[in-house]
Amino acid sequence: MPTQIIATDHPLTPSEQQILAALLDTLLPATEDGRMPSAADLDLVGYLAESAPEIVPQLAGIVGCFDQTFTGLSLEDRYALVTDFSQTQPHLFEPLLRHTYTCYYQDERVLIGIGLSGSPPFPTGNTVEAGDLSLLDAVVSKTRSYRK
Amino acid sequence: MVNFNGVGGGTILYAAHFPRLHPSDFRVKTLDGVADDWPVDYDRLEPYFATNDRMMGVSGLAGDPMYPPKQPPLPPIPLGLVGQTIARGYNKLGWHWWPSDSAIISRPYEGRDQCLNLGPCTSGCSQGAKSSVDITYWPQALRAGVEVRTRHRVREITLNDAGMADGVIYYDADGVERFQKAEVVVMACNGVGTPRILLNSKSTAFPDGLANSSGQVGKNLMFHPMGFVQGIFAERLDSHKGPQGCCILSKEFYETDLSRGFVRGYNMQITRGGGPLVTALQGLATGKIPWGPGHHEAFARRFDHVGSIGVLCEDLPEPHNTVTLDPDLTDADGIPSPRITYQLSDNSRAMLKHGLDRGEEVLEAAGAVEISRVDLLKNAGWHLLGTARMGNDPATSVVNSWGRSHDVKNLFIVDGSIFVTSGGVNPTSTIQALALYIADTMKKNLSNLFD
Repeated sequence: MPTQIIATDHPLTPSEQQILAALLDTLLPATEDGRMPSAADLDLVGYLAESAPEIVPQLAGIVGCFDQTFTGLSLEDRYALVTDFSQTQPHLFEPLLRHTYTCYYQDERVLIGIGLSGSPPFPTGNTVEAGDLSLLDAVVSKTRSYRK
Repeated sequence: MVNFNGVGGGTILYAAHFPRLHPSDFRVKTLDGVADDWPVDYDRLEPYFATNDRMMGVSGLAGDPMYPPKQPPLPPIPLGLVGQTIARGYNKLGWHWWPSDSAIISRPYEGRDQCLNLGPCTSGCSQGAKSSVDITYWPQALRAGVEVRTRHRVREITLNDAGMADGVIYYDADGVERFQKAEVVVMACNGVGTPRILLNSKSTAFPDGLANSSGQVGKNLMFHPMGFVQGIFAERLDSHKGPQGCCILSKEFYETDLSRGFVRGYNMQITRGGGPLVTALQGLATGKIPWGPGHHEAFARRFDHVGSIGVLCEDLPEPHNTVTLDPDLTDADGIPSPRITYQLSDNSRAMLKHGLDRGEEVLEAAGAVEISRVDLLKNAGWHLLGTARMGNDPATSVVNSWGRSHDVKNLFIVDGSIFVTSGGVNPTSTIQALALYIADTMKKNLSNLFD
């Protein structure tokens, strides 16, 4: 009998989910002021299931590179272990990192945290000031021309 | 190298930076003693540049002293904080700059709504404000009765006994070989696709490829060698807002000055920054924005705080830079793949270094607190030029002064392959002006088109 049963349609066991959360928190931790969330606060697995389902089966292999003690380590110690993981298992690490970034920087909380509206700019658009065209006075006042 | 196929061609993916070649670009042999003069000049093409600006919907500002007078149909797209900040840097140095001509509509135009300053244009424009050919020329062509067949690949152009092109053999979307009869064949496949088809169209009359008695088909491939410098500014510049590739430009170093250590010159294209994800991923790739505990601080330092200067160099024609047919590799239909052979010249290297050094000076003058550079953007083979060049002499050129093959009188080419030299600017405006000029000349010569 397996020691852990997957009770939902989540592709990871609860302990694997804890390791994944610690891993994501190491990649993109929350800021101390709470302005930026941790990547662990996002639903990366849900994002992957929708946008990159080919990655989902790899998750168990990725978290399998860490044991449960990983979840109790300090950020500094986890960072050292993940750095080692990134160098020894780049084929696993790099897709995870790329998708974590992609998920993270589309999240409403993150966009608000960096000073943007939480929703996409379309169709309202962005306002950009026309700019001071009198700056061109310095250009036109200088004699110059194209070659014929 | 980027070789894109789609309805609308490269304009689907381009940044819409839309400068014209300069008058001097058509006279490089006369003025600078290198390469060859074109068989047409700026004045001949000017009416077609203007028509094309109206057809496409171009935004810009009249009065640039580095060009003959021209009047873009729409006002310039906004400078924004990036444009103003870097413009002040140019002013400190006393160097030229000007709002870029941009194939992006700054006002509602011809049934299309204006730019919303969403940012990236190279992934397509959801607003329809970027003037790509699928929404400018193609609707008019379709209304005029032109039929477009998508997902078809031409393998070769066929000849009749009189030595005239009489059609094309192509594969349809299901891979079925078909033949299309034609009275006139006009090629618009650009600097790789056009020589690929011509070289693959071999016959007894043309054993080295169609229209290739000169041996010039596939020779003289030109890109625009490009690098860029990026400045980080302490103040927030809202860099991700506004068309990323279109802002201002500088022609300060466009014309030849041999004291710089190279012949010909380059354009400086000021660009805005990327959105959050692009900023993060690029920062990851360059090592400037690491993952881990330092991520947020590094991200905040860069996001919305950048301004960049791209240096786009004129690439001179050299016969050893070629498009040939790969002897083994084919596409899914069995058509030989193009093989690209290209070596960056010493002149281009010197030009690129000079431009990047000047770019750093501009950013420093503009107040950048950190400056980095990419010496040569290795995936910047976007502009594919010169491989079926124009000329008056059939011994040294593939088409004549109005795009007609010297060898096959009903075969025309209207793409970047007919460029004699590359100039130092993005080529789309000039390619389109040439296409209009050639089409108009064909129309005016219908009664003796094949003489």
